[in-house]
Amino acid sequence: MTQKNWLVPVILLLCVASQASGQACNYDISGYIKDHQQKPVIHAAVRISNGPATYTDTAGYYHLGGLCAGNYTINCSVDSFMIAQKTFVLNSNITLNFTPFEPSTDLKEVVVSGTRVHELSTLHAVELDNKQLFQTTGRSLGESLKNIPGINTIQTGPGISKPVIHGLHSNRVLILNNGIRQEGQQWGSEHAPEIDPFIAGSMTIIEGAASLRYGSDAIAGVILLNPPALIDERLKGEVNLVGASNGRMGAVSGLLNGAGDKKWEGFQWRVQGTLKRAGNFKTANYYLNNSGIDERDFSGTMGYHREHFGLYGYYSSYHTKMGIFDGSHVGNLNDLYAAFARTKPITPSYFSYKINRSYQEVTHDLLKLNSYYNFNNNGRAEIVFARQSDLRNEYDVDLPYSSDPAVLNAPQVSFKIKTHTLDLTYHTPERNHFSGTYGVSGITQGNVFRGIRYLVPNFRNYGSGVFAIEKYTRNKWTLEGGLRYDYRWLKVYRRNDNSLTVYTQTHTYNNLTAAVGATWQATPELSISGNSGTAWRAPSVSELYIRGIHLSAASYEIGDSTLQAERSINNSISFKYNGQKLFVQLNFYDNEINNYIYAKPSLTGITLVSGTYPVFQYTQANVRLRGLDAEVNYHVLPALAIISKAAIVRGYNKSIHDYLVFMPADKFDNSVKFGLPDHGHFKQSYVSLQYVYTAKQTRVPPNSDYVAPPPGYGLLNYSMGTDLHLHNNPLNISLSIENLTNVAYRDYLNRFRYYADDLGINFILRTKLTF
Amino acid sequence: MKKILTTASLLVVLATIMNSCKKDETAVAPPVPGNEFLTTVGLKVTNANNASDVQYAYWTDTTLISNPPDSINTPVLNLQANQKYNVEVLFQDRTTNPIGDVTAEIKERQNYHLICFTASPSLNLTVTRTDKDTNVPALEVGLTDLFTTGAAGTGQLNVQLRHQPNVKDGTCAPGSTDADVNFTIRIK
Repeated sequence: MTQKNWLVPVILLLCVASQASGQACNYDISGYIKDHQQKPVIHAAVRISNGPATYTDTAGYYHLGGLCAGNYTINCSVDSFMIAQKTFVLNSNITLNFTPFEPSTDLKEVVVSGTRVHELSTLHAVELDNKQLFQTTGRSLGESLKNIPGINTIQTGPGISKPVIHGLHSNRVLILNNGIRQEGQQWGSEHAPEIDPFIAGSMTIIEGAASLRYGSDAIAGVILLNPPALIDERLKGEVNLVGASNGRMGAVSGLLNGAGDKKWEGFQWRVQGTLKRAGNFKTANYYLNNSGIDERDFSGTMGYHREHFGLYGYYSSYHTKMGIFDGSHVGNLNDLYAAFARTKPITPSYFSYKINRSYQEVTHDLLKLNSYYNFNNNGRAEIVFARQSDLRNEYDVDLPYSSDPAVLNAPQVSFKIKTHTLDLTYHTPERNHFSGTYGVSGITQGNVFRGIRYLVPNFRNYGSGVFAIEKYTRNKWTLEGGLRYDYRWLKVYRRNDNSLTVYTQTHTYNNLTAAVGATWQATPELSISGNSGTAWRAPSVSELYIRGIHLSAASYEIGDSTLQAERSINNSISFKYNGQKLFVQLNFYDNEINNYIYAKPSLTGITLVSGTYPVFQYTQANVRLRGLDAEVNYHVLPALAIISKAAIVRGYNKSIHDYLVFMPADKFDNSVKFGLPDHGHFKQSYVSLQYVYTAKQTRVPPNSDYVAPPPGYGLLNYSMGTDLHLHNNPLNISLSIENLTNVAYRDYLNRFRYYADDLGINFILRTKLTF
Repeated sequence: MKKILTTASLLVVLATIMNSCKKDETAVAPPVPGNEFLTTVGLKVTNANNASDVQYAYWTDTTLISNPPDSINTPVLNLQANQKYNVEVLFQDRTTNPIGDVTAEIKERQNYHLICFTASPSLNLTVTRTDKDTNVPALEVGLTDLFTTGAAGTGQLNVQLRHQPNVKDGTCAPGSTDADVNFTIRIK
């Protein structure tokens, strides 16, 4: 198990050897961004070319530290539109103040007045910029967010992972892919988000009740994936190449973008594509047979913009085929216990790229059309239309009992869901420190289920919402509040098995949501935010009508068509200190959810021809999720940082006075990062060593799980990287080793912990060339 | 502002109307023709010394067929002590009329299947599989068997259909369970 222990001293030695020479990287850049009326530009992104990035605070202040001497270009942008840019030589600490470009006729069309509303800015949010996302390339969306305190993943083997925010996941986490609500099949733990993370130039994770702005379902939070802004240069591009030893995974992703000039002035475009392939992944001691991935995605954008308006079209297509680990197939509960009792799965252990039955094949297409108009009064209106189509086919390990080839090749379960959304928003200009956002949105969905086994019925739903958010910013204070009303109509179509006639059932839900929040920027370094908000979620069709065996879970689930909507009240308070040497962020939250829907073990079995299964009945209870996310980043030396993160969440069922099942265990993440001085063409080099400890989950309700939670475990990860600057084309390179000591472990939130260990050692080489 | 909101809501209404034209979901897919469900496991027991002594016992899944016509959900076989019986295991789809035969499909995929028998300790019964698949070397399947009864007694016989794609090794351990049912056997 620990035969790779020798790696640690060797790598540490390498680190020490390579930092022997060079200059210091301890320069700071700071300053204010203020508009022509000297009002601060809040939440503008300030980014150093191929370097770190930050955001201005409510005073318009920004600060970037730990920079090496050299030539830099600094870009300031608001909402992906560049408002200021400067190239400079850094050889001492400097102050750079910016004023946004004059609104002019030269097509830098965005009029920024410092009033751009970043809605729900008082909620705790975490941003991942381009640089941080590079460290996660090749991972799935869920996996790439794992390092953020408060975020976990719920997994079904190595390929399928879903983000968990503050203990909640699936339908309770809303994902906005390029501004569009991701609408696929999200209800099951084996339904991973149908998104290629390579499309994102940045990600924002809003932790807390964000229903007010983004609509129902955002009880736990929202994940925003934002593609990079379209550029004004003629032609630029980027190529990512990722290779990993575990699963012999390879991914290549590239993008080309550009803009027209002369008579094509105002046109912008981008094309992007990703190919990813992996074979059988390996745990510390054996391969997971049939756990490969085959993913192909592409996207394209076209845009046209003039001084006051812009028109954009975006299309993306995601296609993946994912094998389901052979050892996880259990016919019934006895099979599951037998699998768990084995120290090692009895399926053969070898490497192969081949994906056999069982597997899932998912295709997700998105078409987005949007347009904005900037009024002369600096107000801004936007209209967004989107059409999504999601097809999920699941093939069981056994072929259907048939001799008809058409039936033999058909998936056992198939869902096709089509979603149309239309959103209209208006951002008011700032008047007397007030600014606002108003919007209406509509959604309609049709779901068609086909399959050999019955699981969930067909349905159609309509939803609409109207909201208003008002924000007051003055001196050190930002206050915001809003109201929203949502209506949802759902009709399910089912077939009576005896009479073969279709019958329907209709449900309607409507809800008012509200939120208030405040941020006090006590000093340029220290801010305190508090937010109180409500959110709601209508029961999903699966919770209402599921009846059958859930694949790979050996449980018989029964829905309840009388379930009410969930409602939550979320309170959070966060502290942020961003000083010269020390960065501290603390976020306390309390999420009280009434009518929380969960599958309750009914303590009786159901006997089918394939054996006896435990029955889980969907029911509701009032629950509480409380927790703390903490991050401390201390620069012991200008080049040496110690980063500690902790996430603790407690889920409690107030109705039956017991814990909630499948809550993330406490997690502590400590790392040391050493920045190396620039050496010739090598810039921004670093080495880092991380130790992530996940405790054993001891707070579990009785009879809700087949086996006890696995013991706690600690993983050691190593990473080193550099930026190679050749002919103005930066090449980012990083080498990571995950699970350096090849620990055999099982994670409580991985559904496959019943059958096999989690992943063993993994060497990952990531490169990105920008040209 | 009012104007914008009015226009907006009108657009929302328009979009929903436009989209409501095509409603695939209203056509609920009928049962897939040609597909068979495994609803019933049966045993056909023939006395080796008396071809006219034939008994049938069926176990039917009551979640798939709520009231099996022969209402046998606790199937019983009455056997004589110290006898030999030739047994056929029958797999059926009773959701259709006439009854669908699933045994043929299992026979076709015999290299992936194994039928396992477990008699409770009170039952003096030995089960020997008498058929072989086409694996190399050939492995037992269990669709046809020989029951050898001992002294009188009553007990349960558990019959499992194990699905073992690419992992069949002659033992019951690999793979997953496709059928797992119990028969009561009285040896007199």
